[in-house]
Amino acid sequence: MSLIKELDYGTPIRLSEDEVTLTIDGVGVSVPAGTSVMAAAMSMGTKIPKLCATDMLEPFGSCRMCLVEIEGRRGTPASCTTPAENGMIVRTQSDKLARLRKGVMELYISDHPLDCLTCSANGDCELQDMAGVVGLRDVRYGKEVANHFETDSPLALPVDTSNPYFQYDPAKCIVCNRCVRACEEVQGTFALTIEGRGFDSRVSAAGVSFLDSDCVSCGACVQACPTATLMEKTVVEHGQPEHSTVTTCAYCGVGCSFKAEMQGDKVVRMVPYKGGQANEGHSCVKGRFAWGYATHKDRITKPMIRETITDPWREVSWEEAINRAASEFKRIQNDYGREAVGAITS
Amino acid sequence: MKLVRAGFGNNNVDTCARVCHSPTGYGLSKTFGTSAGTQDFKSVAKTDVIMIIGANPTDGHPVFASRMKKRLRAGAKLIVIDPRRIDMVKSPHVAASHHLALRPGTNVAVLNAMAHVIVTEGLIDESFVRERCDLVDFEMWARAIAEERNSPEAMEPYTGVAAQDLREAARLYATGGAAAIYYGLGVTEHSQGSTTVMAMANLAMATGNIGRDGVGVNPLRGQNNVQGSCDMGSFPHEFSGYRHVSDDSTRQMFESLWNRPLSNEQGLRIPNMIDEAIGGGFKGLYVQGEDIAQSDPDTQHITAGLRAMECVVIQDIFLNETAKYAHVFLPGSSFLEKDGTFTNAERRISRVRKVMEPLSGKSEWQATIDLSNALGYPMSYSHPSEIMDEIARLTPTFAGVSYEKIEQLGSVQWPCNDKAPTGTPIMHVDRFVRGLGKFMMTEYVPTEEKTGARFPLILTTGRILSQYNVGAQTRRTENSVWHDEDVLEIHPFDAENRGVKTGDLVALQSRTGEISLRAEVSERMQPGVVYTTFHHAKTGANVITTDFSDWATNCPEYKVTAVQVRRTNQYSDWQERNAREDIELRRIAPRFATAAE
Repeated sequence: MSLIKELDYGTPIRLSEDEVTLTIDGVGVSVPAGTSVMAAAMSMGTKIPKLCATDMLEPFGSCRMCLVEIEGRRGTPASCTTPAENGMIVRTQSDKLARLRKGVMELYISDHPLDCLTCSANGDCELQDMAGVVGLRDVRYGKEVANHFETDSPLALPVDTSNPYFQYDPAKCIVCNRCVRACEEVQGTFALTIEGRGFDSRVSAAGVSFLDSDCVSCGACVQACPTATLMEKTVVEHGQPEHSTVTTCAYCGVGCSFKAEMQGDKVVRMVPYKGGQANEGHSCVKGRFAWGYATHKDRITKPMIRETITDPWREVSWEEAINRAASEFKRIQNDYGREAVGAITS
Repeated sequence: MKLVRAGFGNNNVDTCARVCHSPTGYGLSKTFGTSAGTQDFKSVAKTDVIMIIGANPTDGHPVFASRMKKRLRAGAKLIVIDPRRIDMVKSPHVAASHHLALRPGTNVAVLNAMAHVIVTEGLIDESFVRERCDLVDFEMWARAIAEERNSPEAMEPYTGVAAQDLREAARLYATGGAAAIYYGLGVTEHSQGSTTVMAMANLAMATGNIGRDGVGVNPLRGQNNVQGSCDMGSFPHEFSGYRHVSDDSTRQMFESLWNRPLSNEQGLRIPNMIDEAIGGGFKGLYVQGEDIAQSDPDTQHITAGLRAMECVVIQDIFLNETAKYAHVFLPGSSFLEKDGTFTNAERRISRVRKVMEPLSGKSEWQATIDLSNALGYPMSYSHPSEIMDEIARLTPTFAGVSYEKIEQLGSVQWPCNDKAPTGTPIMHVDRFVRGLGKFMMTEYVPTEEKTGARFPLILTTGRILSQYNVGAQTRRTENSVWHDEDVLEIHPFDAENRGVKTGDLVALQSRTGEISLRAEVSERMQPGVVYTTFHHAKTGANVITTDFSDWATNCPEYKVTAVQVRRTNQYSDWQERNAREDIELRRIAPRFATAAE
């Protein structure tokens, strides 16, 4: 078993009767009209670097990592917000693009802690991955001015642990807006916003703690976060999962698909599965977070019997319990007739 | 069902759907010919008018609610028919065009009035009705519904819904483009639950809103696999695939494969079992994963029935309320320990995969087989997939379903057979399953449960987001941060009359019982109606609810109970007795190590 990683096309799948054909890095590709250049590239296996884009959300174009060159167009447009067009000739790699991306990444990292080894997202962090992809080796900026991550910095904000299931660590936020957009577009609750402007801007649950806010703990923001800013407390505590299995939620009749992400036989987190046709990657507080009952101390794991309901229960073997049930049902049918027993299923 | 029908040799098997969507099965099968919703969830993205009746999707079905809200933000219109001002009525960037805040118990009156508007204002989709429906039934229905007594104006005194608002809502549903109905237990859990389901089906047929993307009549089923449980013949009158036990050819097919004679007489429903137990004729019950002592109405009646039995066997993961009255406890498995399938509200069969070994050392299906074997009816399966194969052999609508196919496609929506090898996302596309759609007469008959001087308020019950049903699971998680007790929502007017403030302990009394709980004064309510949840066993909301039920299916009338509310400073007698019994009837003898250990 291994951890199931899902492809991220960067922008939502578009359905269209019409196809457009373009050339990306010298290779022709046809995609449904309305598809972004980023998703078109991904459909042929080319991952354009990105931070603010994910296929659960509409393109936003803020992180400036996914810049590409398009023949006949000025500058370096963002591939997430640029729709693919017939005859387009796109380059996703060039010296100029590499320099731009590395420069942007350097700015991000200048206001981000370098504690990757001890970070809860270590190994599952898009910022870490992208820093690797662009080959960032040195950060020149940020040493002279206040930042958001040093605890004694005037800009530092406390970690919000008010929600029972996940935490918000503003020090790690890159203000990509994915959480805010997930709350709006995926969940539709509009509980999150960006407070402040420019360098001061940070994600906020409208100025109060997550627990006191309109947040309904669906987990869409945690799912969308590319860093350790919004993180399940179980992952903070236990570390990254190492294998996963796709299964179906045990709560309501929507029947959401989840990946049960595990360490050994211990569930670390339940993550909504994008391939699930009922939920398409979304979840609610129950399926996403409220699974701890499965190993609650109240679980009864041994068969038990008793003569009368006022007797204490006695733990017995499976065989004894099954035989008691069967012999009682047979005795009752013998004494009172065939119709005197029945069953209720759930 | 196999254990009961072949092992017990009777048809006394029932399911939790009895208390939730049994009227859906009855109503949709009479009108359309199948006992399930018509659409897949995706269909809502093509809807122009969403009509929500007696459902609270943001709390009960939150992931689907998000899909609805997405469509509404993109411009679809919304009609909400609910006594309470639920979140869908107004939330960020979503607002209902019409909120018909009816009096609980008047669903049929409201839907008949909508149908009246559609018939008398010439909004019928005539070509659809002519081509797809039984015209004799249609004519009869249309004539009756057009009578003045069904008009919005005539119904207003009963429903409390302004006639003009209702007329506009009816016009919007009929002419606003693709219109889809989504409904919940606010429809079914009434004395006219089945009638309401048929009234919705009539509306959909009359306006041609059936058989394509974006339309339909869709129950939001309450539980992960309640659809599956119904599909699989967990009802006392039906084999899997909704075939009546008196149907000789179906029964003979089961008899020859199961090698046992089977009864052709309908068995007992849950309320019948309890009544018969109190009468002395019903003595043994096997309960799998269901907590009737908390979930079913009139708790004291249920527990009296359980006490009268000689052998109650519980298979569950916790020592639940019903287990207090049990003699044998078989430890069950959580979904993480299960291999099998769940079937959701869109008839979608999805795999449940085991991620950890059963804590009890035995899978639930294995325990059921062991019990059957011990009863003298041998069953032998080596894997749940073999059970699915047997289902496919015996059930025409499941003929094409196998674990292999589910793995291949991700999930399968029944019917899945030679005619629909990859399943059926949308039903009744070219013709209704029963052939022609059948308009059913839906006369409004007020419930017997009446308010009066002693019990002037109507209690209606429901669920909230963070807790789930009887709370056995969610109460044992940190979700209790959001909801650690059931509270009584009451309109400021009713609260002031009784000197009640938010946080006060109040006594809630009905003809069947009395409990105490804290009040929350809320404008969400309409005057005269109070609301609570049934998540906490210690509160005992169902001590209050009554024996009244749907005329066709016995689905309990949870949504209408005449009550009185007054301030109090103590918990009720039932609550105090129940708290004592929580300890007395749940004792587990200390286990002494044996020599072998």
